[in-house]
Amino acid sequence: MKFFSYSTFLVLGLLFGPYVSAHGSQKEKLQGMIDATLDVIYSETHASLSANEKQSKVREKLESSYDLDVMIRYAIGKNWRRMNKVEQLEVLELVKKLVLKAYVTGLEGKDRPSITLAELTEIGKARIEIESTMVLDAKTYYILYRLRQMDSGWQIYDIVAENVSVSSNYRGQIDDHFRKGSAADLIARLKGLLVKDDINEDTKI
Amino acid sequence: MKTQKFKGPLAWASLIGVLTVTTLTAQVRDLTGDEEFYTSPVDESTNVYDPFESVNRFTFVFNDFVFSNTVQPLVDAYTAIAPDPVEEGASNFFHNLRYPVRLASNLLQFRFKGAWVETGRFAINSTVGIVGILTPADDYEGFAPIKSEDVGQVFGAWGIGEGPYLVLPFLGPSNLRDLAGFFGDRAVNPLKGPFSVIDDWKWEWQLALSGTENIARSPQIIKRYKQLKGSSIDPYSSLRNSYSQYRRGAVAE
Repeated sequence: MKFFSYSTFLVLGLLFGPYVSAHGSQKEKLQGMIDATLDVIYSETHASLSANEKQSKVREKLESSYDLDVMIRYAIGKNWRRMNKVEQLEVLELVKKLVLKAYVTGLEGKDRPSITLAELTEIGKARIEIESTMVLDAKTYYILYRLRQMDSGWQIYDIVAENVSVSSNYRGQIDDHFRKGSAADLIARLKGLLVKDDINEDTKI
Repeated sequence: MKTQKFKGPLAWASLIGVLTVTTLTAQVRDLTGDEEFYTSPVDESTNVYDPFESVNRFTFVFNDFVFSNTVQPLVDAYTAIAPDPVEEGASNFFHNLRYPVRLASNLLQFRFKGAWVETGRFAINSTVGIVGILTPADDYEGFAPIKSEDVGQVFGAWGIGEGPYLVLPFLGPSNLRDLAGFFGDRAVNPLKGPFSVIDDWKWEWQLALSGTENIARSPQIIKRYKQLKGSSIDPYSSLRNSYSQYRRGAVAE
């Protein structure tokens, strides 16, 4: 009986312990990453940094927790095979810069948002979703983080803001691009976006 | 002796533990590897029926031109002149005026709780909130803001399909169902035609009201549009995808 109790608890502990804590710790890890990136944008110690320096710092914080390549590769989808190795690396780097630029400039001039993580839901054998609410400029937005267990550990593969999936949006754009364009055109377009700041520039469609 | 007795069960338990953890780890991982995952379909479908793409793209460029050269300078002037509380108050005022649309849309979907919340908010904001300029209802329990409903969503909830994607001149992204919903919104709005409750509602006044409403709503829309355009490989495709995902989500909620 003693053996039964002891081994049962040990087995249950071994069985569910790492599983529960692995999922639970994902929430803490995500919250830590969000706080760290917001600190870069809003804390007094980083106030003197230029926009580019802030983007680099944010990238540093992000990459210390997650592999950004995962989300970008997922957004590129099967189009990845349409590029050679050099182009693949260049596209990864340019999209990374574009996403960081959009993130940092999108929060510029606004009060620090408050982000609260809520429910964690298992949506597949190796996938979880973490719900969150973001209060920005007195408005509440619902954001969902999707994570998958990859060879490199749990990674964010999609962010869904107000029902709009970022990965789906970029997948659609890149699919559309490769119907007529090439990898070289894509690289040129991404480079153009990184130097562009104004809405008044011509819309290339 | 005691130690020996203990060692046996511990060894077994450890073995079972290791085996179960190994099995669990194998179960937890998807059957597909990373490479297959990258090429798997995205969770939200990107498929949008767009048979008029060439016309839509042309209208998109036209709208972009109008937006950049007419609407944006007006909105820039408005945001420069009007302090933030005035901008917010104007936006609140016009949102409050659209209460009949939200009420009808909730009722048509049998969302009685939504209709109740909208009615309570309208009553509180129109009185305590000085004709809807302020939103004191936010602080009343049970009357926190809820997601806005419109007639296009009603049609979606009734099972009517989206139809083809459309880009409407001056109005922007839509689809056949939402275009019908747009006319439905006007029909249930007592301040707008064709069933306006105001008898001598001259077109000049209607135009002034609509124009002011659009300018009051534009700063937020322009910010989002600029952000979308600044980070899009193909702004037309990005807007079509965002609009469709957003509307599908709104209907599903």
